[in-house]
Amino acid sequence: MVIVVSEELETRVREIARTILRTPFTKRTWSELCFLSVGAVLAFFGFAFVVLTMAVGVVFAITFFGLAVIGLSLRGARAIGGVQRRLALGLLDEQIDDPDPFAPRRGFLGWLQSALRDRTGWRAMAYVVVKVPLAIFAIFTALSVWFDAFTCLITPLGGASQPHEFGLVRGLFPPGYFSIGNTGGLHGLAILCSGVVLFFAAPWGVRVVVYIDRFLMRALLGPDAVAVRVRSLEHARAQTVDASAATLRRIERDLHDGTQAQLVALAMRLGMAKEKLADTDHLDLDQVSELVNDAHRGAKEAIIELRDLARGIHPPVLDIGLEGALSTLAARSTVPADLTLTLNDRPTPAIESIAYFCVAELLANVAQHANASRASIICTQHSRWLRLVVRDDGIGGAQLSELGSSSSGLTGLTERVHAVDGRFEIVSPLRGPTVVTVDLPMHA
Amino acid sequence: MTRPVRVVIAEDSAILRDGLVQLLVDRGFVVSDAVSEPDALRRAVERDCPDVVIVDIRMPPTFTDEGLRAAIDLRRLHTGLGILMFSQYIETRYASELLADDAAGVGYLLKDRVADVSEFVEALTRVASGGTALDPEVVTQLLGASRRSDSISVLSAREKEVLSLMAEGRSNAAIASELVISEGTVEKHVASIFTKFDLPQSQSDHRRVLAVLRFLDS
Repeated sequence: MVIVVSEELETRVREIARTILRTPFTKRTWSELCFLSVGAVLAFFGFAFVVLTMAVGVVFAITFFGLAVIGLSLRGARAIGGVQRRLALGLLDEQIDDPDPFAPRRGFLGWLQSALRDRTGWRAMAYVVVKVPLAIFAIFTALSVWFDAFTCLITPLGGASQPHEFGLVRGLFPPGYFSIGNTGGLHGLAILCSGVVLFFAAPWGVRVVVYIDRFLMRALLGPDAVAVRVRSLEHARAQTVDASAATLRRIERDLHDGTQAQLVALAMRLGMAKEKLADTDHLDLDQVSELVNDAHRGAKEAIIELRDLARGIHPPVLDIGLEGALSTLAARSTVPADLTLTLNDRPTPAIESIAYFCVAELLANVAQHANASRASIICTQHSRWLRLVVRDDGIGGAQLSELGSSSSGLTGLTERVHAVDGRFEIVSPLRGPTVVTVDLPMHA
Repeated sequence: MTRPVRVVIAEDSAILRDGLVQLLVDRGFVVSDAVSEPDALRRAVERDCPDVVIVDIRMPPTFTDEGLRAAIDLRRLHTGLGILMFSQYIETRYASELLADDAAGVGYLLKDRVADVSEFVEALTRVASGGTALDPEVVTQLLGASRRSDSISVLSAREKEVLSLMAEGRSNAAIASELVISEGTVEKHVASIFTKFDLPQSQSDHRRVLAVLRFLDS
């Protein structure tokens, strides 16, 4: 009989075997072991500190002294959390962001109030408390395996008859389980073999426990959800402020270089014409008429520039609603574009404006870069969300960063989309098609 | 007949550049070059040795104050070169930088001033021949921001008018014709202003501009 082992299976088995054989000798394994050992010691000291201070605090809770001790206890838990974070970073490469620093209010009462209401402190305390059972679990299931592995490896050398096992292995396999006979060379060899097996198994138990600890640390020692939200809102606000400052700067530039320059030139020509008309002795009507003609043309150009600029700030067509505005955009697009729009409600003006400028920028990008023959715009409502999909049949390969660099407008737009908690997604494989999806809340 | 004044223009807006060339040629100036960025301006001055340059403050690449920087360099390199700064805004800080050591052959005007062609041409000629031409707006801002409001408030209404025109860089004759008074009366007002400000009398127009501006700015 021939056992046919598929090549794929063979490579996988070989890979797994290699991993098992290598793992005990990797830096990660020993770092994790170190983390668990140090962490266990820290856990017991931390727990003792917390229990002691909290007990005193609760007993005297009726007085300020008791409350102050509870406050100190929380501050201590915070500090333990900090040590734990550094330990995680140093040994596990686990980057946990620091929570916001403790910022007490003024005075003793202020400090007390801030300390007792410090969510970070309470969460760190929860970690310290939960860490104790985890540490006990770690000692009996993970650290014990390492211990057993070494005792099994050392026992035959020292000539002792039985290894001193404890924890998980002892529980699963009673003493003498591995031995063949009670003494002799064969017995020693059996113990040694079980030591080798345990040596290769031990890292995995540690890894599991460390995995649980990583999860706990991320949940309890990092910045809490509210703080994270506040940070992301602050970031979004900063971006919005920057974007609007940039917009104002762009408008100023456009006015300065366009309309203002046009009007200065216009005033200059009229000034020249006026002085020529006043000089009745050398009146040259042809010259005057040329100047007035130039001025007239300049005035018309200034009007057009001003109108384009005004439309760029707020398109008046938006006032009649998104449908009319988007269909105007689709009609003006150089690449033929179809619009499908189904909205039950009208989004708020800010959202309509973002949606409008997104479509305008995306259509402009399609015209410039996509080399497409058709584009489509689909605008739909999913309960409280507005979804915009702009698709083209062009060459694809578009990336947000590229689009951003080729038109600063789109970078500003993604920032505006994120500022209202929206999403901006671009899928553009080589040879196309490119599909850009923008999700916006209906009300913002 | 006197030699025509030679001008180099540095202005990044094509519309304005062309308009200025048209205006200056029409008024008998020789425009030896019209450029759109500071480096080209430096080269043009090196090559053509003009009497005066008209420089836009905001130019490429950063559109902040490249023009001013270039003008300050040019002034150091080419003594006697008149510089007329040309801008759509008046920033007194720019004015004080430009006038840091000397007011001879320095001008700072709003672009709007080209609409009054004769006044603009007169200001340019003044700068080209070593005089001063400050925009009335600069003077107004300096007067408004001056910490010498005590000294200014002791001036009579007429003296304030004379002070403003003097600070713009006008000569006694020009002030006299502007205010429709005799030159002698202007001289009397000027002397009175210098006495009230406790400043030594200066003979040349640009020295007294500098004295007045320093006084207002200190």
